[in-house]
Amino acid sequence: MKNNALRVELGRRYRFAASHRLHASQLSEEENYRIFGKCNNPHGHGHNYVLEVSLSGKMDPATGMIANLADLDAFVERQVLEEFDHCSFNEDVTAFRNIVPTTENLSIEIFRRLKSFPHAKLERIRIEETAKNSFEYSGDHSEGARLD
Amino acid sequence: MVLLTRKIEFSASHLYHNPNLSAEENRRIFGKCNNPHGHGHNYTLEVTVAGEPDPVTGMVLDLKELKEILEREVMERMDHRHLNYEVPELKGQIPTCENIARVIWQLLEPRITRGKLHRVRLYESPDLFADCYRDGASGVGN
Repeated sequence: MKNNALRVELGRRYRFAASHRLHASQLSEEENYRIFGKCNNPHGHGHNYVLEVSLSGKMDPATGMIANLADLDAFVERQVLEEFDHCSFNEDVTAFRNIVPTTENLSIEIFRRLKSFPHAKLERIRIEETAKNSFEYSGDHSEGARLD
Repeated sequence: MVLLTRKIEFSASHLYHNPNLSAEENRRIFGKCNNPHGHGHNYTLEVTVAGEPDPVTGMVLDLKELKEILEREVMERMDHRHLNYEVPELKGQIPTCENIARVIWQLLEPRITRGKLHRVRLYESPDLFADCYRDGASGVGN
């Protein structure tokens, strides 16, 4: 192990506020309420989400950086925050038209939107839905396990 | 295997400037981090050590020992210092979060003789941090 190379990752946190309703159209009203509880309330509810993005890559010897933060911030703004901040996932985001906007599914969708970042490799994303619940996704085997 | 993490905070100043680049390029790449007299941060360092608890003491390593290592290797070197001018290990490098985390790893790894250094995470602010690992250990599930 000692001879293995050191690996450095860069982590950056972003915030957005959005609403969702957990409701599966394949299920009856009773089943939806039994499974999702108050998250199934008809008009939805909101969270202050925290998105943590982790990148790996070669550190540019000229800058000491894995990625320039200005590039990363602009990319995340364009790919995620512009559309997601102050939106309703169920109503406003095409990706959630047919799948339940749980934070598990949100993690997969955000990873999909960020994995083309051109300056470094997206290692994983982590979303805090509340201070108590967080979700991580690194794009491996579970990609494709969507409810659509 | 159990992971044990100790957190410390230190305050330091730095600036980003590459003498091989023109003033304009430095400004374009580093923005206000290139301001000539530097600026400062409250850094938070999380050091994670992996190991099996000793059957007698129940400890991976003595936290007091880890605290002393962090005091000697990190606090004495970096706390209330200018990272560009006062930390020889960073000489010739841009003191980005990535580089500082790597230097801290290199300082700590040989000092930790019980358990194994697993991760160094350095926060420059609550929203920006760098993680350093030996390849083979991963950020998730290890």
